[in-house]
Amino acid sequence: MIELLFALSIGMLFGIGVFQLLRRDLVKAAIGFAILFSAINLFFVAVGAFEGEFAPYVSNVEAGRQTSDPLIQALILTAIVVSFGSFSLVLGFVNIISRRYDTVDSNDINKLKH
Amino acid sequence: MEQNYFLLGALVTPLIGAILALVFASSNRLQRSIAVLAGLIAWVFCIALLTQVHDSGVQTYALGNWKPPYGIVLVADALGGLFAFMVTTIMIGGLLYTFHCRDKCMTYPAFVPLFLLMEVGLIGAMLTGDLFTLFVFMELMVLASVSLTAISDDQYGLEAALKYILISSMGTLFLLLGIGALYATFGTLNMAEIARSLLTGVRPFLAPAAAIMLLCAFLLKSAVFPFHFWQPDFHTTAPTPVSAMLSSIVVKVGVYGIIRLVTLLFIEEAPFLERWLSTLGIIGILFGSLGALRTYNAKRMLAYSTFAQIGFILVGIGWGTPLAMIGAIIYAFNHAFIKSSLLLLMGVVASFTTTKSANFADISGLGGKLPPVLGWLVLIGGLSLAGIPPLNGFISKLTLIQGGVDRADWANLIIMVAAGILTVMYMVRAWQRIFQQNPLPATVDTKDQGDSLFAPLLLIVVCLLLGTVLAEPMIQLISETVRQLGDAQIYISAVNLPPPA
Repeated sequence: MIELLFALSIGMLFGIGVFQLLRRDLVKAAIGFAILFSAINLFFVAVGAFEGEFAPYVSNVEAGRQTSDPLIQALILTAIVVSFGSFSLVLGFVNIISRRYDTVDSNDINKLKH
Repeated sequence: MEQNYFLLGALVTPLIGAILALVFASSNRLQRSIAVLAGLIAWVFCIALLTQVHDSGVQTYALGNWKPPYGIVLVADALGGLFAFMVTTIMIGGLLYTFHCRDKCMTYPAFVPLFLLMEVGLIGAMLTGDLFTLFVFMELMVLASVSLTAISDDQYGLEAALKYILISSMGTLFLLLGIGALYATFGTLNMAEIARSLLTGVRPFLAPAAAIMLLCAFLLKSAVFPFHFWQPDFHTTAPTPVSAMLSSIVVKVGVYGIIRLVTLLFIEEAPFLERWLSTLGIIGILFGSLGALRTYNAKRMLAYSTFAQIGFILVGIGWGTPLAMIGAIIYAFNHAFIKSSLLLLMGVVASFTTTKSANFADISGLGGKLPPVLGWLVLIGGLSLAGIPPLNGFISKLTLIQGGVDRADWANLIIMVAAGILTVMYMVRAWQRIFQQNPLPATVDTKDQGDSLFAPLLLIVVCLLLGTVLAEPMIQLISETVRQLGDAQIYISAVNLPPPA
C-alpha cells in the first residue's frame, strides 16, 4: 500500500513540477523546478529502500536480514545541494530580471528576439 | 590497481586556483596570473596523462582509496585523456584573453574563480568513471557558465542565462533520473561496472529507458536539433572568452557523453541510438548552416555554425564504423580549436567598437582600423572551418567523409558537402564585410585600442600546428583511441573488475 502511495506521489509531484516549469510566470517556473527536484529525490529514496530492510548504521541487524542502501542517502544529499544551488541561482536571476524588465511574465521578457 | 596522482592533480589544480583567486579577489592582475598558472599546471598534468595512457594503458585513481565499484574512481582512457588535453589547452587561450580584455565584467572579483570552476567541471566530466560524479561536474560547469553569461557586458546576457538555466536544469533532471534508473537496476554508479553488467546481455526493464534519458541530456548539452533553441542566444551574449569556451569545449561534453554511451555503456542499443544521431545531426547541419548564412551578428553566426559542426560530429558517430568514429573525434578536436580562436578574434573585432557589439551593421568596414594581421587570421580560421585543403579543417572533413563513403551513405554525404560550401560562403562573406568593405556611414564610433590579439593568435597557431604539421601523429593517436573504444573490455578491466562471466 505504502509503495503505491509513494509511487503515486512521485508521479504527481513530477506532473505538478513539469506543469509549473512551463508556466509563463517565472517565479512559478522556478518553484516548479524545485518541486521537480524533490520528485527526483523521492525517486532515489524509492530506489534505495525496500520493505523489511533496516536503516543503515543506526540499527542492529537481525541475522539474515539486510540494511537498506546507505549510498542512496549520500547521493540525495549531494543532489539536494546541487538543486539548492541551481534553485537559488534561478531565483536570483528572476529577481534581477523582475527589476530590469518590470515583469516576471516570460512573454514580455523577449528582448533577445530581434 | 595503481593510483595515478596526475588524474587528481589535473582535477584539483584549477579548483585550488579558483579558491586562491577568491582569496586574492582584491587584485585582478594577481587573480588572472593565478588562473593562468593553474591552467598551465592542469595542462601539464593532462599532457603527462595523455602520454601515460598512450604508453601504458588506461590510468585510474580511486578517490579516498575506496576500491571500485564502491568508491568514486577517476579514469583517464584514451578518449578522456584526449578530451581533457583539448579542454585544458583551449582553456589556457581563454584565460590569457582575460589579461588584455577591456570588458567590464572581467574586473568583477567573481569572474576568474567562476571561469576556473567551469574548467573543473569540464575536466571532471571527462575524467570521471562514475555516473553520479559526471552529473555533479556537468552541473558545476552549467552553473559556472550560466553565472558568467549573466554578468556579461551584453545587457541581454541575463535573459539568455535564465533561459538556459531553466532548459538545462530540465536536462540535468532527466540525466539524474536516468542515473537513478541505472542505479535501481544495477545497484552501482561505476560506469565500468554498469558496462560489465550490460555486456552480459542482461536487459532489465529500466536500462533502455535510461539510455534514452541520458542521450537526451547529452544532446541538450551539445545543443542538437530539438534542444538547440537556447544556444545562439546564450553563446552570443556571453563575454568573449566565455563564449569561445562555450562554443568550443562545453558543447563537447555532450559529444563525449554520447561517445561513451554508444561505445561503453549501451553497445547493444548503439545501432538504434546511432540512427537517431545521424538524423538529428543532418537536421542540425542543414539548419545551422542556413541560420549562420542569414544572421545579423558575427558571434551569432559562429554560434549557428557550432550547431552545424556538432551535426557533422554526430553524423560521424552515427555511422558507427571505426573509420567514421576517427573522423568524428578529429572533427571534434579541430572544431574546438578553430571555433574558439574564431570567437576570440570576433571578440577582438567587436572590442574596437564603443558598443562592443559584433552586429554586422556595426562592424562592417571596420577593417581599416584593425591590425592587418587580424584580417588574415579571421580568413585562415574561416577557411579552416570550411575545410579548405592545406588547413586542418580539411583533414578532419576528409577523414569524416571517408567514413561516410565507407558506409555508402550518399544522401547524407551530399548534404554535408553542400553544408561545407555554405560554410565557405558565410565565413568569406563575414570576412569581406568586416575587412574588405568601405565603412558604412552609420557605423558606430570606433576606438583606437581593442583587446589584445595574443590569445587567439596563440590558439590558431597551436591549432594549425596540431592539425596540419602534426596531423599524422594526431591521426595515429586518434586511431589508437578509437581502437581502444572498440573494445569496452579494456576500459572495464582497467578499473580492476573481472571480465563478465
